[in-house]
Amino acid sequence: MRSSRPPLPRPRFPPAEVDLSVALATYNGERWIGSFLDSLLSQERFPDELVIQDDASTDGSVSLIREFASSAPFDVRIEVNEHRVGSTANFALTLGRCRGRFIALADQDDVWYPAKLRRLIDELSTDPTITMVFSDADLIDESGAPLGRRLWSTRRVAGALRHREVVPEELFAKRALTTGCTMAVRRRAVAAALPFPVELDDPVAPMRHDRWLSMISAAVGTVRSLPEPLLGFRVHPSQETGVLVGSQLTRAFGRATAGVLTAPLDQGVAAHLIRAAQLETAADRVDDLGGFEEAATLRAVAAHHRLRAHRPDGPRDRVRQVVDGAQCGAYSRDALGAAAMTADVIRALRPGHAPSER
Amino acid sequence: MTRRPLRVMMTTDTLDLGGAEQVAVDVANSLDRAKVEVSFCASRSGGPLESMLVDDVELRILGRRATWDLAKMVDFGRLTREMGIDIVHSHGRGSMRFVSVCKVLGLVNALHLFHDHFGRLHLDRSAGLRTRVPLHRGVDHYIGVENRLCRWAIDAVGLEPDRVDLVRSGVDVSRFDDVQPVDLRTEFGLGDPELVLVMIANYRPQKDHPTLFRALAELEAEDRERLRLVVVGSSDADPVYFRGCMDMLERLDLSHAVHSVGVRDDVPALLAGADAAVFSSKNESGPLVLLEYMASRLPFVATETGEIAHAVRDDGVGILVEPRDFLALSDGLRHLVHMSADERSQMGDLGRTVVEERFEQAHVARRIEGIYERLMQRER
Repeated sequence: MRSSRPPLPRPRFPPAEVDLSVALATYNGERWIGSFLDSLLSQERFPDELVIQDDASTDGSVSLIREFASSAPFDVRIEVNEHRVGSTANFALTLGRCRGRFIALADQDDVWYPAKLRRLIDELSTDPTITMVFSDADLIDESGAPLGRRLWSTRRVAGALRHREVVPEELFAKRALTTGCTMAVRRRAVAAALPFPVELDDPVAPMRHDRWLSMISAAVGTVRSLPEPLLGFRVHPSQETGVLVGSQLTRAFGRATAGVLTAPLDQGVAAHLIRAAQLETAADRVDDLGGFEEAATLRAVAAHHRLRAHRPDGPRDRVRQVVDGAQCGAYSRDALGAAAMTADVIRALRPGHAPSER
Repeated sequence: MTRRPLRVMMTTDTLDLGGAEQVAVDVANSLDRAKVEVSFCASRSGGPLESMLVDDVELRILGRRATWDLAKMVDFGRLTREMGIDIVHSHGRGSMRFVSVCKVLGLVNALHLFHDHFGRLHLDRSAGLRTRVPLHRGVDHYIGVENRLCRWAIDAVGLEPDRVDLVRSGVDVSRFDDVQPVDLRTEFGLGDPELVLVMIANYRPQKDHPTLFRALAELEAEDRERLRLVVVGSSDADPVYFRGCMDMLERLDLSHAVHSVGVRDDVPALLAGADAAVFSSKNESGPLVLLEYMASRLPFVATETGEIAHAVRDDGVGILVEPRDFLALSDGLRHLVHMSADERSQMGDLGRTVVEERFEQAHVARRIEGIYERLMQRER
């Protein structure tokens, strides 16, 4: 008897040709890209190639890169998009062109410390089960001066990561823990993560490429976290990866609180459904690769999002639903998890819920 | 006055088929009887490996149901005292906890040597109280079957380095000599393929059969039809996983090429009847099965995971690829299929030589006897 499910897709990802690629997606980064490229030259271990995909920059980024390429001690392969495709799609193009056994992701505005590539690749090299390794970072300001804070603690993920050398897919499914520029990935994890599904780009609840990549990496192997800062992560208003400090953080907190108290009650529903769809796509991808246990874990988190999108009629049932979710570990066990749970309880108690569809 | 031989009790949870249990039995059988008297305690239940214990090893099965089974702890303590046991040599973390609790409660006076075979270090490097406390309070010496485990014991658990030893597992090569090969083509109705590959692995997620199946599917049709795969191992261990694997075979249209034959007690004869072997595990601490392939003179394709794969990776005894990479595994299979019969035979012979020189069970036994001796001297 043939299975009722369709034949498995047969993706082919070309085998590695070099040892280490650095993948850099650029867009209008002329202000900082020079200092990033300089930091690449100071690495204790050079990459074999720097693969750059420029997303139709309108400033001098491409000229700076071409100038760098003419004297770089490694291959620099640049392509320029004819039209802007956006950050996630641009990273997909960049990763697809990398030929390395290991691929380190880079952002145009950061400053890498000399040990960064060596430490990440040493870690990947020692154990073939490791598919991704990522580190902490020091925050720096627009001028490159240290802000005296670390990335993990600023994003409230230090507690989840410091005591956990191995990060399971479930944590990545629940929240974004990593930033691309801190990570290096084994080729087979990139092969599993590409192509990026269209659901990632949904404007209501986008999932960035680095979260998708880390979730898939954890589901098809082992992801390790290194608590040492291996780069300076630049904080500035035009960056794509949001790290909020000072008044920005206060304003964001205020907006989120106001949203919980006053925003239309059905506003979050669409976001939960989209997140569920993204996680289910990841689960299908992992399932096709034989990661049945890991796929089940991802589906469980997706199911929680679907549950949060469906709100029972009575306030008592809605609160019970939140409590049940907390008891089965659906909220992350940290301050943000507690905040999400509190917000759900407040929404559950607010008047004005539409009767659910039967 | 002549000193009496040391009295050692091997302890496992069960005698079911498994890497840790097999090592415990092999060590029990191979220790030098002039130096060591060996007994064996399966603290939960027996199993198929009972029949592999040599006659002079006294076997006790306690039938405990939980770590904190106080009645069985008392029984175990009494047993070790009555038999005058000097060293309890536990295998597996469940067994280690049981013995450690007995020691902490004062029920066991013997020294406790823990032999760690933990195969999920890639997912769980934690050293929580449940592991740390029994290791510190109830274990006198630690043996890891791979370097990563030893590093974990020192770095994460905080054991003193002089109380930690790496002992790679070995194999009794004589078990693979003079066996009557099973004609796999006839036994399993395989037709007449050019190559019959065997994989010895229970259907458990760790063994990662799906990556192997996808690797087979990636072969050119012509290459794929030149081989058949026989999977030997239990399909009961994880029924959901087994169903997922069977579903995957159907979706890959490979059901005709892969034959799952369940648990067999004639593994050496099955290996003797195979042309080559394959092993696709995600993560292992050993794995012993690679030694069995080599002892059977089989060329093989395997994922590079565990101490043994690491130790032989530069020896040319098999084709090693990264775990969970079906494209790499497929390339390995393709390479194996395209090797000449002579080349495959040479690879198999080389494997046998490497096993005899470096992984013969006698080497392992001598090393463990040395650790026993050091342990006794240290405690005197």
